[in-house]
Amino acid sequence: MIKFFRNIPRHFKEARNGIVRNFAMTLSSASAVTVTLVLIGAFLLVAVNLDSFMTSVEEGVQIHVRIEDTVSEDKISSLQASVEAISGVRSVVYSDKDSELDALIEVYGEEGELFETYRGDANPLKRAFVVEVTDGLLIDEVTAKIEAVPGIFSALYGGSSIIEMMSAFENIKSGGIIFVLILSALAVFLISNTIKLTIFARQDEIRIMRLVGASNGYIRTPFLLEGIFIGLLGAILPIGLVYFGYTYLYTVTGGYFFTPLFTLITPQPFLMYISGALAGIAIIVGLIGSYISVSRYLWWKR
Amino acid sequence: MIKLENVTKVYKTGTRALNGISLYINQGEFVYIIGATGSGKSTLIKILNGEEAASKGKVNVAGTDLTKLRTGRIPYFRRNVGVVYQDFCLLPKKTVFENVAFALEVVSEKTIYIRKRVREVLKLVDLEEKAKSFPNEISGGQKQRVAIGRAIANKPKVLIADEPTGNLDPEKSEEIIALLERINREEGTTILMVTHDKELVEKHKKRTILLQDGYIVADLMEGGYVSHD
Ligand SMILES: Nc1ncnc2c1ncn2[C@@H]1O[C@H](COP(=O)(O)OP(=O)(O)OP(=O)(O)O)[C@@H](O)[C@H]1O
Ligand SMILES: [Mg+2]
Repeated sequence: MIKFFRNIPRHFKEARNGIVRNFAMTLSSASAVTVTLVLIGAFLLVAVNLDSFMTSVEEGVQIHVRIEDTVSEDKISSLQASVEAISGVRSVVYSDKDSELDALIEVYGEEGELFETYRGDANPLKRAFVVEVTDGLLIDEVTAKIEAVPGIFSALYGGSSIIEMMSAFENIKSGGIIFVLILSALAVFLISNTIKLTIFARQDEIRIMRLVGASNGYIRTPFLLEGIFIGLLGAILPIGLVYFGYTYLYTVTGGYFFTPLFTLITPQPFLMYISGALAGIAIIVGLIGSYISVSRYLWWKR
Repeated sequence: MIKLENVTKVYKTGTRALNGISLYINQGEFVYIIGATGSGKSTLIKILNGEEAASKGKVNVAGTDLTKLRTGRIPYFRRNVGVVYQDFCLLPKKTVFENVAFALEVVSEKTIYIRKRVREVLKLVDLEEKAKSFPNEISGGQKQRVAIGRAIANKPKVLIADEPTGNLDPEKSEEIIALLERINREEGTTILMVTHDKELVEKHKKRTILLQDGYIVADLMEGGYVSHD
Protein backbone atom coordinates (compact mmCIF):
# COMPACT_ATOMS: atom_id res chain seq x y z
CA MET A 1 0.00 0.00 0.00
CA ILE A 2 2.82 2.38 0.87
CA LYS A 3 4.43 1.47 -2.41
CA PHE A 4 1.20 2.31 -4.20
CA PHE A 5 1.18 5.84 -2.78
CA ARG A 6 4.86 6.24 -3.51
CA ASN A 7 4.09 5.56 -7.17
CA ILE A 8 1.17 7.98 -7.51
CA PRO A 9 3.18 11.06 -8.57
CA ARG A 10 5.10 8.91 -11.07
CA HIS A 11 1.85 7.65 -12.60
CA PHE A 12 0.36 11.13 -12.84
CA LYS A 13 3.47 12.36 -14.63
CA GLU A 14 3.21 9.55 -17.19
CA ALA A 15 -0.52 10.11 -17.68
CA ARG A 16 0.04 13.82 -18.28
CA ASN A 17 2.68 13.00 -20.90
CA GLY A 18 0.25 10.68 -22.67
CA ILE A 19 -2.43 13.37 -22.78
CA VAL A 20 -0.09 16.10 -24.01
CA ARG A 21 1.40 13.91 -26.74
CA ASN A 22 -1.98 12.87 -28.19
CA PHE A 23 -3.83 16.05 -27.47
CA ALA A 24 -5.96 15.94 -30.63
CA MET A 25 -7.04 12.36 -29.97
CA THR A 26 -7.70 13.16 -26.33
CA LEU A 27 -10.02 15.97 -27.40
CA SER A 28 -11.84 13.90 -30.01
CA SER A 29 -12.63 11.03 -27.68
CA ALA A 30 -13.50 13.46 -24.90
CA SER A 31 -16.05 14.99 -27.27
CA ALA A 32 -17.53 11.54 -27.86
CA VAL A 33 -17.98 11.31 -24.12
CA THR A 34 -19.54 14.79 -24.20
CA VAL A 35 -22.14 13.82 -26.78
CA THR A 36 -22.96 10.64 -24.90
CA LEU A 37 -23.28 12.36 -21.56
CA VAL A 38 -25.43 15.21 -22.91
CA LEU A 39 -27.89 12.60 -24.15
CA ILE A 40 -27.63 10.56 -20.98
CA GLY A 41 -28.11 13.72 -18.91
CA ALA A 42 -31.20 14.78 -20.84
CA PHE A 43 -32.56 11.27 -20.61
CA LEU A 44 -31.96 11.14 -16.87
CA LEU A 45 -33.72 14.46 -16.31
CA VAL A 46 -36.76 13.34 -18.28
CA ALA A 47 -36.85 9.83 -16.86
CA VAL A 48 -36.51 10.81 -13.23
CA ASN A 49 -39.18 13.51 -13.59
CA LEU A 50 -41.53 11.14 -15.38
CA ASP A 51 -40.91 8.55 -12.74
CA SER A 52 -41.87 10.86 -9.92
CA PHE A 53 -44.90 12.00 -11.93
CA MET A 54 -45.97 8.44 -12.50
CA THR A 55 -45.64 7.62 -8.82
CA SER A 56 -47.98 10.46 -7.95
CA VAL A 57 -50.45 9.39 -10.65
CA GLU A 58 -50.28 5.79 -9.57
CA GLU A 59 -51.35 6.82 -6.10
CA GLY A 60 -54.61 8.02 -7.62
CA VAL A 61 -55.37 4.73 -9.27
CA GLN A 62 -57.84 2.80 -7.14
CA ILE A 63 -59.98 -0.31 -7.42
CA HIS A 64 -63.60 0.10 -6.36
CA VAL A 65 -64.67 -3.20 -4.80
CA ARG A 66 -68.39 -3.67 -4.13
CA ILE A 67 -69.48 -6.14 -1.44
CA GLU A 68 -72.42 -8.59 -1.75
CA ASP A 69 -75.41 -7.49 0.34
CA THR A 70 -75.59 -11.04 1.78
CA VAL A 71 -72.33 -10.50 3.71
CA SER A 72 -73.24 -9.69 7.29
CA GLU A 73 -71.84 -6.66 9.05
CA ASP A 74 -69.63 -8.73 11.37
CA LYS A 75 -67.97 -10.62 8.46
CA ILE A 76 -66.76 -7.38 6.83
CA SER A 77 -63.45 -7.23 8.68
CA SER A 78 -62.50 -10.83 7.82
CA LEU A 79 -63.42 -10.15 4.19
CA GLN A 80 -61.21 -7.03 4.29
CA ALA A 81 -58.37 -9.15 5.65
CA SER A 82 -58.64 -11.64 2.78
CA VAL A 83 -58.51 -8.79 0.23
CA GLU A 84 -55.51 -7.29 1.99
CA ALA A 85 -53.77 -10.67 1.79
CA ILE A 86 -53.74 -10.53 -2.03
CA SER A 87 -50.25 -9.74 -3.34
CA GLY A 88 -50.02 -6.34 -5.02
CA VAL A 89 -52.55 -4.78 -2.67
CA ARG A 90 -51.18 -1.82 -0.77
CA SER A 91 -54.17 -0.63 1.22
CA VAL A 92 -57.85 -1.43 1.71
CA VAL A 93 -60.29 1.14 3.12
CA TYR A 94 -63.87 0.19 4.02
CA SER A 95 -66.64 2.51 2.94
CA ASP A 96 -70.21 1.95 4.20
CA LYS A 97 -73.44 2.75 2.34
CA ASP A 98 -73.54 6.30 3.65
CA SER A 99 -70.02 7.15 2.56
CA GLU A 100 -70.71 5.57 -0.84
CA LEU A 101 -73.69 7.88 -1.23
CA ASP A 102 -71.58 10.85 -0.20
CA ALA A 103 -69.02 9.94 -2.86
CA LEU A 104 -71.75 9.62 -5.50
CA ILE A 105 -73.27 12.97 -4.58
CA GLU A 106 -69.85 14.58 -4.76
CA VAL A 107 -69.25 13.24 -8.27
CA TYR A 108 -72.51 14.71 -9.58
CA GLY A 109 -72.13 18.06 -7.84
CA GLU A 110 -75.30 20.22 -7.76
CA GLU A 111 -77.55 17.58 -9.31
CA GLY A 112 -76.19 15.05 -6.85
CA GLU A 113 -78.39 16.60 -4.17
CA LEU A 114 -81.29 14.66 -5.73
CA PHE A 115 -79.83 11.42 -4.42
CA GLU A 116 -80.23 12.64 -0.83
CA THR A 117 -83.69 11.05 -0.82
CA TYR A 118 -82.07 7.62 -0.90
CA ARG A 119 -80.20 8.14 2.37
CA GLY A 120 -81.12 5.67 5.07
CA ASP A 121 -82.85 2.33 4.57
CA ALA A 122 -83.72 3.08 0.94
CA ASN A 123 -80.04 3.28 -0.01
CA PRO A 124 -79.63 0.88 -2.97
CA LEU A 125 -75.82 1.23 -3.05
CA LYS A 126 -73.57 -1.58 -1.94
CA ARG A 127 -70.93 -1.34 0.74
CA ALA A 128 -67.45 -1.13 -0.73
CA PHE A 129 -63.69 -1.33 -0.27
CA VAL A 130 -61.39 1.23 -1.84
CA VAL A 131 -58.22 -0.66 -2.77
CA GLU A 132 -54.86 0.83 -3.72
CA VAL A 133 -52.19 -1.24 -5.46
CA THR A 134 -48.42 -1.26 -5.07
CA ASP A 135 -47.75 -1.02 -8.80
CA GLY A 136 -50.20 0.49 -11.29
CA LEU A 137 -49.18 -2.02 -13.92
CA LEU A 138 -50.45 -4.86 -11.73
CA ILE A 139 -53.92 -3.39 -11.46
CA ASP A 140 -55.56 -5.75 -13.97
CA GLU A 141 -54.25 -8.82 -12.25
CA VAL A 142 -55.12 -7.62 -8.77
CA THR A 143 -58.65 -6.66 -9.82
CA ALA A 144 -59.29 -10.14 -11.21
CA LYS A 145 -58.01 -11.77 -8.01
CA ILE A 146 -60.23 -9.58 -5.85
CA GLU A 147 -63.27 -10.34 -7.95
CA ALA A 148 -62.71 -14.05 -7.34
CA VAL A 149 -62.95 -13.66 -3.55
CA PRO A 150 -66.31 -15.02 -2.25
CA GLY A 151 -68.52 -12.24 -0.94
CA ILE A 152 -67.30 -9.74 -3.51
CA PHE A 153 -69.97 -8.48 -5.89
CA SER A 154 -67.68 -6.66 -8.33
CA ALA A 155 -64.30 -5.03 -8.64
CA LEU A 156 -63.69 -2.20 -11.09
CA TYR A 157 -60.95 0.29 -11.65
CA GLY A 158 -61.11 3.63 -13.34
CA GLY A 159 -58.47 5.36 -15.48
CA SER A 160 -57.49 2.65 -17.89
CA SER A 161 -56.02 5.41 -20.07
CA ILE A 162 -53.62 6.23 -17.26
CA ILE A 163 -52.58 2.60 -17.16
CA GLU A 164 -51.92 2.65 -20.89
CA MET A 165 -49.90 5.80 -20.47
CA MET A 166 -47.89 4.13 -17.75
CA SER A 167 -46.97 1.13 -19.84
CA ALA A 168 -46.04 3.48 -22.70
CA PHE A 169 -43.69 5.33 -20.33
CA GLU A 170 -42.19 2.00 -19.25
CA ASN A 171 -41.41 1.27 -22.89
CA ILE A 172 -39.87 4.69 -23.40
CA LYS A 173 -37.75 4.14 -20.32
CA SER A 174 -36.38 0.76 -21.38
CA GLY A 175 -35.81 2.02 -24.94
CA GLY A 176 -33.92 5.00 -23.51
CA ILE A 177 -31.76 2.76 -21.34
CA ILE A 178 -30.78 0.64 -24.34
CA PHE A 179 -30.00 3.78 -26.33
CA VAL A 180 -27.83 5.10 -23.51
CA LEU A 181 -26.00 1.78 -23.22
CA ILE A 182 -25.22 1.78 -26.95
CA LEU A 183 -23.90 5.33 -26.73
CA SER A 184 -21.77 4.45 -23.73
CA ALA A 185 -20.33 1.47 -25.58
CA LEU A 186 -19.43 3.82 -28.43
CA ALA A 187 -17.67 6.19 -26.05
CA VAL A 188 -15.80 3.26 -24.50
CA PHE A 189 -14.69 2.20 -27.96
CA LEU A 190 -13.44 5.68 -28.85
CA ILE A 191 -11.52 6.04 -25.61
CA SER A 192 -9.97 2.61 -26.01
CA ASN A 193 -8.79 3.71 -29.46
CA THR A 194 -7.16 6.83 -28.07
CA ILE A 195 -5.43 4.82 -25.39
CA LYS A 196 -4.27 2.39 -28.07
CA LEU A 197 -2.52 5.30 -29.78
CA THR A 198 -0.93 6.34 -26.51
CA ILE A 199 0.27 2.80 -25.99
CA PHE A 200 1.66 2.78 -29.51
CA ALA A 201 3.49 6.04 -28.85
CA ARG A 202 4.94 4.62 -25.67
CA GLN A 203 5.76 1.14 -26.91
CA ASP A 204 9.50 1.57 -26.34
CA GLU A 205 8.88 2.78 -22.86
CA ILE A 206 6.62 -0.18 -22.10
CA ARG A 207 9.24 -2.55 -23.50
CA ILE A 208 11.83 -1.00 -21.22
CA MET A 209 9.46 -1.16 -18.28
CA ARG A 210 9.08 -4.87 -18.89
CA LEU A 211 12.83 -5.24 -19.31
CA VAL A 212 13.44 -3.88 -15.83
CA GLY A 213 10.60 -5.82 -14.22
CA ALA A 214 7.64 -3.42 -13.95
CA SER A 215 4.47 -5.32 -13.05
CA ASN A 216 1.44 -5.17 -15.32
CA GLY A 217 -0.41 -3.16 -12.71
CA TYR A 218 2.35 -0.57 -12.70
CA ILE A 219 2.39 -0.31 -16.47
CA ARG A 220 -1.39 -0.09 -16.61
CA THR A 221 -1.99 2.64 -14.04
CA PRO A 222 -0.96 5.76 -16.02
CA PHE A 223 -3.14 4.62 -18.92
CA LEU A 224 -6.11 4.15 -16.63
CA LEU A 225 -5.55 7.63 -15.22
CA GLU A 226 -5.45 8.97 -18.74
CA GLY A 227 -8.75 7.24 -19.53
CA ILE A 228 -10.37 8.71 -16.42
CA PHE A 229 -9.08 12.13 -17.37
CA ILE A 230 -10.54 11.88 -20.88
CA GLY A 231 -13.87 10.82 -19.40
CA LEU A 232 -13.96 13.70 -16.92
CA LEU A 233 -12.86 16.20 -19.56
CA GLY A 234 -15.81 15.08 -21.66
CA ALA A 235 -18.16 15.40 -18.69
CA ILE A 236 -17.57 19.09 -18.02
CA LEU A 237 -19.89 20.42 -20.72
CA PRO A 238 -22.78 17.96 -20.13
CA ILE A 239 -22.75 18.59 -16.39
CA GLY A 240 -22.80 22.35 -16.94
CA LEU A 241 -25.56 22.03 -19.50
CA VAL A 242 -27.74 19.81 -17.34
CA TYR A 243 -27.11 21.87 -14.24
CA PHE A 244 -27.80 25.33 -15.58
CA GLY A 245 -30.27 24.18 -18.22
CA TYR A 246 -32.54 22.50 -15.73
CA THR A 247 -32.30 25.34 -13.22
CA TYR A 248 -33.29 27.74 -16.01
CA LEU A 249 -36.18 25.53 -17.14
CA TYR A 250 -37.40 25.25 -13.59
CA THR A 251 -37.45 29.02 -13.07
CA VAL A 252 -39.06 29.74 -16.43
CA THR A 253 -41.87 27.18 -16.06
CA GLY A 254 -42.43 27.97 -12.39
CA GLY A 255 -41.80 24.38 -11.43
CA TYR A 256 -44.46 22.50 -13.41
CA PHE A 257 -45.28 21.33 -16.89
CA PHE A 258 -48.67 22.04 -18.57
CA THR A 259 -50.67 21.23 -15.44
CA PRO A 260 -49.86 21.63 -11.76
CA LEU A 261 -50.31 17.86 -11.58
CA PHE A 262 -46.99 17.44 -13.40
CA THR A 263 -44.61 19.20 -11.02
CA LEU A 264 -40.91 19.24 -11.80
CA ILE A 265 -38.49 17.93 -9.20
CA THR A 266 -36.90 20.85 -7.32
CA PRO A 267 -33.36 21.47 -8.65
CA GLN A 268 -31.57 20.95 -5.33
CA PRO A 269 -30.32 18.42 -4.38
CA PHE A 270 -31.63 16.63 -7.48
CA LEU A 271 -29.06 18.25 -9.81
CA MET A 272 -26.25 17.31 -7.42
CA TYR A 273 -27.18 13.64 -7.80
CA ILE A 274 -27.53 13.89 -11.58
CA SER A 275 -24.13 15.65 -11.89
CA GLY A 276 -22.58 13.02 -9.66
CA ALA A 277 -24.10 10.28 -11.77
CA LEU A 278 -22.76 11.84 -14.99
CA ALA A 279 -19.26 12.21 -13.53
CA GLY A 280 -19.46 8.60 -12.34
CA ILE A 281 -20.48 7.36 -15.78
CA ALA A 282 -17.64 9.40 -17.34
CA ILE A 283 -15.09 7.83 -15.00
CA ILE A 284 -16.39 4.32 -15.60
CA VAL A 285 -16.46 4.77 -19.38
CA GLY A 286 -12.89 6.12 -19.33
CA LEU A 287 -11.66 3.33 -17.08
CA ILE A 288 -13.24 0.55 -19.12
CA GLY A 289 -12.03 2.06 -22.41
CA SER A 290 -8.42 2.27 -21.32
CA TYR A 291 -8.50 -1.02 -19.42
CA ILE A 292 -9.58 -2.86 -22.56
CA SER A 293 -6.72 -1.43 -24.62
CA VAL A 294 -3.97 -1.89 -22.06
CA SER A 295 -5.02 -5.37 -21.07
CA ARG A 296 -5.22 -6.48 -24.65
CA TYR A 297 -1.74 -5.10 -25.27
CA LEU A 298 -0.22 -6.57 -22.12
CA TRP A 299 -1.86 -9.88 -22.83
CA TRP A 300 0.07 -10.29 -26.06
CA LYS A 301 3.42 -9.36 -24.59
CA ARG A 302 5.30 -11.44 -22.10
CA MET B 1 22.42 -20.16 -11.31
CA ILE B 2 21.29 -21.10 -14.82
CA LYS B 3 20.12 -24.61 -15.59
CA LEU B 4 18.67 -25.65 -18.95
CA GLU B 5 17.61 -29.23 -19.62
CA ASN B 6 16.66 -30.38 -23.11
CA VAL B 7 15.27 -26.99 -24.05
CA THR B 8 13.59 -26.76 -27.43
CA LYS B 9 12.08 -23.63 -28.92
CA VAL B 10 9.80 -23.81 -31.92
CA TYR B 11 8.36 -20.46 -33.00
CA LYS B 12 4.78 -20.17 -34.20
CA THR B 13 6.17 -19.88 -37.73
CA GLY B 14 7.55 -23.42 -37.35
CA THR B 15 11.20 -22.35 -37.06
CA ARG B 16 13.14 -24.58 -34.65
CA ALA B 17 15.44 -22.02 -33.05
CA LEU B 18 16.72 -24.30 -30.26
CA ASN B 19 17.01 -28.09 -30.41
CA GLY B 20 17.03 -29.72 -26.98
CA ILE B 21 19.95 -27.87 -25.47
CA SER B 22 21.22 -28.45 -21.94
CA LEU B 23 23.39 -25.95 -20.15
CA TYR B 24 24.66 -25.34 -16.61
CA ILE B 25 26.16 -22.04 -15.54
CA ASN B 26 27.33 -21.47 -11.97
CA GLN B 27 27.00 -18.35 -9.89
CA GLY B 28 29.71 -15.79 -10.65
CA GLU B 29 30.63 -17.22 -14.06
CA PHE B 30 31.26 -15.05 -17.11
CA VAL B 31 30.25 -16.86 -20.29
CA TYR B 32 30.33 -15.93 -23.98
CA ILE B 33 27.76 -17.28 -26.38
CA ILE B 34 28.86 -17.25 -29.98
CA GLY B 35 27.45 -18.64 -33.22
CA ALA B 36 26.48 -17.72 -36.76
CA THR B 37 23.52 -15.52 -37.46
CA GLY B 38 20.25 -17.37 -36.94
CA SER B 39 21.86 -20.02 -34.73
CA GLY B 40 19.53 -19.25 -31.82
CA LYS B 41 21.59 -16.99 -29.57
CA SER B 42 18.95 -14.31 -29.09
CA THR B 43 16.30 -16.98 -28.66
CA LEU B 44 18.33 -18.43 -25.81
CA ILE B 45 18.60 -15.00 -24.18
CA LYS B 46 14.85 -14.44 -24.50
CA ILE B 47 14.10 -17.76 -22.89
CA LEU B 48 16.41 -16.90 -20.01
CA ASN B 49 14.60 -13.64 -19.21
CA GLY B 50 11.12 -14.98 -19.84
CA GLU B 51 10.39 -13.00 -23.02
CA GLU B 52 9.77 -16.30 -24.79
CA ALA B 53 8.55 -19.54 -23.28
CA ALA B 54 10.40 -22.78 -24.04
CA SER B 55 8.36 -25.21 -26.12
CA LYS B 56 9.89 -28.17 -24.31
CA GLY B 57 12.39 -28.81 -21.53
CA LYS B 58 13.25 -27.28 -18.17
CA VAL B 59 14.49 -23.74 -17.55
CA ASN B 60 15.70 -22.61 -14.14
CA VAL B 61 17.23 -19.18 -13.67
CA ALA B 62 18.31 -17.69 -10.33
CA GLY B 63 16.29 -20.31 -8.48
CA THR B 64 13.08 -19.74 -10.46
CA ASP B 65 11.56 -22.54 -12.51
CA LEU B 66 10.48 -20.60 -15.60
CA THR B 67 8.49 -23.46 -17.05
CA LYS B 68 6.17 -23.29 -14.04
CA LEU B 69 6.10 -19.50 -13.69
CA ARG B 70 2.72 -17.80 -14.18
CA THR B 71 2.79 -14.98 -16.74
CA GLY B 72 1.81 -12.45 -14.09
CA ARG B 73 4.89 -13.36 -12.02
CA ILE B 74 7.37 -12.77 -14.87
CA PRO B 75 7.96 -9.08 -13.95
CA TYR B 76 8.99 -10.07 -10.42
CA PHE B 77 11.31 -12.74 -11.80
CA ARG B 78 12.90 -10.18 -14.14
CA ARG B 79 14.10 -8.09 -11.25
CA ASN B 80 16.69 -10.84 -10.69
CA VAL B 81 17.87 -10.71 -14.29
CA GLY B 82 19.42 -7.62 -15.86
CA VAL B 83 19.25 -7.41 -19.65
CA VAL B 84 21.30 -5.36 -22.08
CA TYR B 85 20.65 -5.15 -25.81
CA GLN B 86 22.68 -4.02 -28.78
CA ASP B 87 20.35 -1.07 -29.38
CA PHE B 88 20.69 0.31 -25.81
CA CYS B 89 16.91 0.83 -25.33
CA LEU B 90 17.26 4.14 -23.51
CA LEU B 91 14.35 6.51 -23.09
CA PRO B 92 15.25 9.53 -25.24
CA LYS B 93 13.28 12.04 -23.17
CA LYS B 94 14.92 11.08 -19.91
CA THR B 95 18.39 12.06 -18.73
CA VAL B 96 21.09 9.51 -17.97
CA PHE B 97 20.22 9.79 -14.31
CA GLU B 98 16.48 9.37 -14.96
CA ASN B 99 17.05 6.41 -17.25
CA VAL B 100 18.83 4.51 -14.51
CA ALA B 101 16.35 5.74 -11.90
CA PHE B 102 13.48 4.42 -14.06
CA ALA B 103 14.47 0.82 -13.35
CA LEU B 104 14.17 1.52 -9.64
CA GLU B 105 10.97 3.55 -9.91
CA VAL B 106 9.05 0.80 -11.66
CA VAL B 107 9.86 -1.60 -8.85
CA SER B 108 8.52 0.98 -6.36
CA GLU B 109 11.73 1.85 -4.54
CA LYS B 110 11.84 4.86 -2.20
CA THR B 111 12.91 8.13 -3.84
CA ILE B 112 15.75 8.62 -1.36
CA TYR B 113 17.10 5.15 -2.01
CA ILE B 114 16.77 5.70 -5.77
CA ARG B 115 18.94 8.83 -5.65
CA LYS B 116 21.60 7.08 -3.63
CA ARG B 117 21.61 3.92 -5.74
CA VAL B 118 21.68 5.80 -9.07
CA ARG B 119 24.71 7.77 -7.95
CA GLU B 120 26.40 4.54 -6.92
CA VAL B 121 25.64 2.93 -10.28
CA LEU B 122 26.74 5.95 -12.31
CA LYS B 123 30.02 5.87 -10.42
CA LEU B 124 30.45 2.19 -11.22
CA VAL B 125 29.84 2.75 -14.95
CA ASP B 126 31.95 5.93 -14.80
CA LEU B 127 29.28 8.36 -16.00
CA GLU B 128 28.88 10.62 -12.98
CA GLU B 129 29.60 13.75 -14.96
CA LYS B 130 27.02 12.83 -17.64
CA ALA B 131 24.13 12.39 -15.18
CA LYS B 132 22.20 15.36 -16.57
CA SER B 133 22.84 14.62 -20.26
CA PHE B 134 20.21 13.17 -22.57
CA PRO B 135 20.92 9.99 -24.58
CA ASN B 136 21.37 11.94 -27.85
CA GLU B 137 24.10 13.99 -26.20
CA ILE B 138 26.40 11.07 -25.38
CA SER B 139 28.41 8.51 -27.40
CA GLY B 140 27.39 4.95 -28.24
CA GLY B 141 29.79 3.49 -25.69
CA GLN B 142 28.41 5.80 -23.04
CA LYS B 143 24.84 4.87 -23.97
CA GLN B 144 25.67 1.22 -23.54
CA ARG B 145 27.19 1.98 -20.15
CA VAL B 146 23.96 3.70 -19.14
CA ALA B 147 22.04 0.62 -20.29
CA ILE B 148 24.34 -1.63 -18.25
CA GLY B 149 23.94 0.68 -15.27
CA ARG B 150 20.16 0.44 -15.59
CA ALA B 151 20.36 -3.35 -15.89
CA ILE B 152 22.34 -3.70 -12.66
CA ALA B 153 20.51 -1.00 -10.68
CA ASN B 154 18.25 -3.60 -9.09
CA LYS B 155 21.28 -5.73 -8.14
CA PRO B 156 20.29 -8.70 -10.30
CA LYS B 157 21.95 -12.06 -9.76
CA VAL B 158 22.32 -12.55 -13.51
CA LEU B 159 23.18 -10.08 -16.25
CA ILE B 160 22.55 -11.16 -19.81
CA ALA B 161 23.75 -9.09 -22.73
CA ASP B 162 22.78 -9.64 -26.37
CA GLU B 163 25.65 -8.26 -28.48
CA PRO B 164 26.30 -5.31 -26.19
CA THR B 165 29.27 -4.27 -28.33
CA GLY B 166 27.55 -4.87 -31.66
CA ASN B 167 27.20 -1.18 -32.46
CA LEU B 168 30.52 -0.07 -31.00
CA ASP B 169 34.06 0.34 -32.32
CA PRO B 170 36.82 -1.89 -30.84
CA GLU B 171 38.04 0.72 -28.40
CA LYS B 172 34.58 1.25 -26.94
CA SER B 173 34.02 -2.51 -26.89
CA GLU B 174 37.09 -2.86 -24.69
CA GLU B 175 35.55 -0.38 -22.28
CA ILE B 176 32.32 -2.36 -22.12
CA ILE B 177 34.11 -5.66 -21.53
CA ALA B 178 36.20 -4.05 -18.80
CA LEU B 179 33.01 -2.76 -17.18
CA LEU B 180 31.28 -6.15 -17.37
CA GLU B 181 34.36 -7.83 -15.91
CA ARG B 182 34.32 -5.36 -13.07
CA ILE B 183 30.63 -5.98 -12.35
CA ASN B 184 31.30 -9.72 -12.48
CA ARG B 185 34.22 -9.39 -10.09
CA GLU B 186 32.93 -6.74 -7.68
CA GLU B 187 29.23 -7.60 -7.45
CA GLY B 188 29.57 -11.32 -8.10
CA THR B 189 26.98 -11.04 -10.89
CA THR B 190 26.74 -14.02 -13.24
CA ILE B 191 27.23 -12.72 -16.78
CA LEU B 192 26.12 -14.18 -20.08
CA MET B 193 27.20 -12.31 -23.17
CA VAL B 194 26.26 -12.97 -26.78
CA THR B 195 28.87 -11.67 -29.17
CA HIS B 196 30.15 -11.77 -32.74
CA ASP B 197 33.40 -10.08 -31.81
CA LYS B 198 36.19 -12.52 -32.56
CA GLU B 199 38.98 -10.33 -31.22
CA LEU B 200 37.21 -9.72 -27.95
CA VAL B 201 36.67 -13.42 -27.35
CA GLU B 202 40.31 -14.18 -28.17
CA LYS B 203 41.70 -11.40 -26.00
CA HIS B 204 39.53 -11.77 -22.91
CA LYS B 205 39.33 -15.54 -22.73
CA LYS B 206 36.34 -16.93 -20.86
CA ARG B 207 34.10 -19.97 -21.01
CA THR B 208 32.68 -19.95 -24.53
CA ILE B 209 29.60 -21.73 -25.83
CA LEU B 210 29.13 -22.19 -29.55
CA LEU B 211 25.63 -22.50 -30.96
CA GLN B 212 24.88 -23.85 -34.40
CA ASP B 213 21.41 -24.39 -35.86
CA GLY B 214 19.96 -24.49 -32.38
CA TYR B 215 22.48 -27.03 -31.00
CA ILE B 216 25.36 -26.45 -28.61
CA VAL B 217 28.28 -27.74 -30.64
CA ALA B 218 31.10 -26.63 -28.35
CA ASP B 219 31.48 -25.53 -24.75
CA LEU B 220 35.08 -24.50 -24.03
CA MET B 221 35.83 -23.87 -20.39
CA GLU B 222 39.19 -22.32 -21.26
CA GLY B 223 37.63 -20.09 -23.93
CA GLY B 224 38.91 -18.84 -27.25
CA TYR B 225 37.12 -18.36 -30.53
CA VAL B 226 35.84 -21.40 -32.34
CA SER B 227 35.56 -21.13 -36.08
CA HIS B 228 32.06 -21.84 -37.27
CA ASP B 229 31.86 -20.26 -40.68
N1 LIG C 1 9.82 -14.07 -33.03
C1 LIG C 1 10.21 -14.99 -33.93
N2 LIG C 1 9.28 -15.64 -34.66
C2 LIG C 1 9.64 -16.58 -35.55
N3 LIG C 1 10.90 -16.93 -35.81
C3 LIG C 1 11.89 -16.33 -35.12
C4 LIG C 1 11.59 -15.32 -34.14
N4 LIG C 1 12.75 -14.88 -33.62
C5 LIG C 1 13.72 -15.58 -34.22
N5 LIG C 1 13.21 -16.45 -35.12
C6 LIG C 1 13.96 -17.42 -35.93
O1 LIG C 1 14.66 -18.28 -35.06
C7 LIG C 1 15.97 -18.54 -35.52
C8 LIG C 1 16.98 -18.12 -34.47
O2 LIG C 1 16.92 -16.72 -34.31
P1 LIG C 1 17.80 -15.91 -33.27
O3 LIG C 1 17.31 -14.51 -33.27
O4 LIG C 1 17.78 -16.63 -31.99
O5 LIG C 1 19.23 -15.99 -33.92
P2 LIG C 1 20.60 -15.27 -33.49
O6 LIG C 1 21.55 -16.35 -33.23
O7 LIG C 1 20.35 -14.32 -32.39
O8 LIG C 1 21.00 -14.50 -34.80
P3 LIG C 1 21.75 -13.09 -34.95
O9 LIG C 1 23.20 -13.38 -34.76
O10 LIG C 1 21.47 -12.68 -36.34
O11 LIG C 1 21.20 -12.17 -33.94
C9 LIG C 1 16.11 -17.77 -36.83
O12 LIG C 1 15.86 -18.67 -37.89
C10 LIG C 1 15.03 -16.72 -36.76
O13 LIG C 1 14.55 -16.42 -38.05
MG1 LIG D 1 20.45 -12.18 -32.18
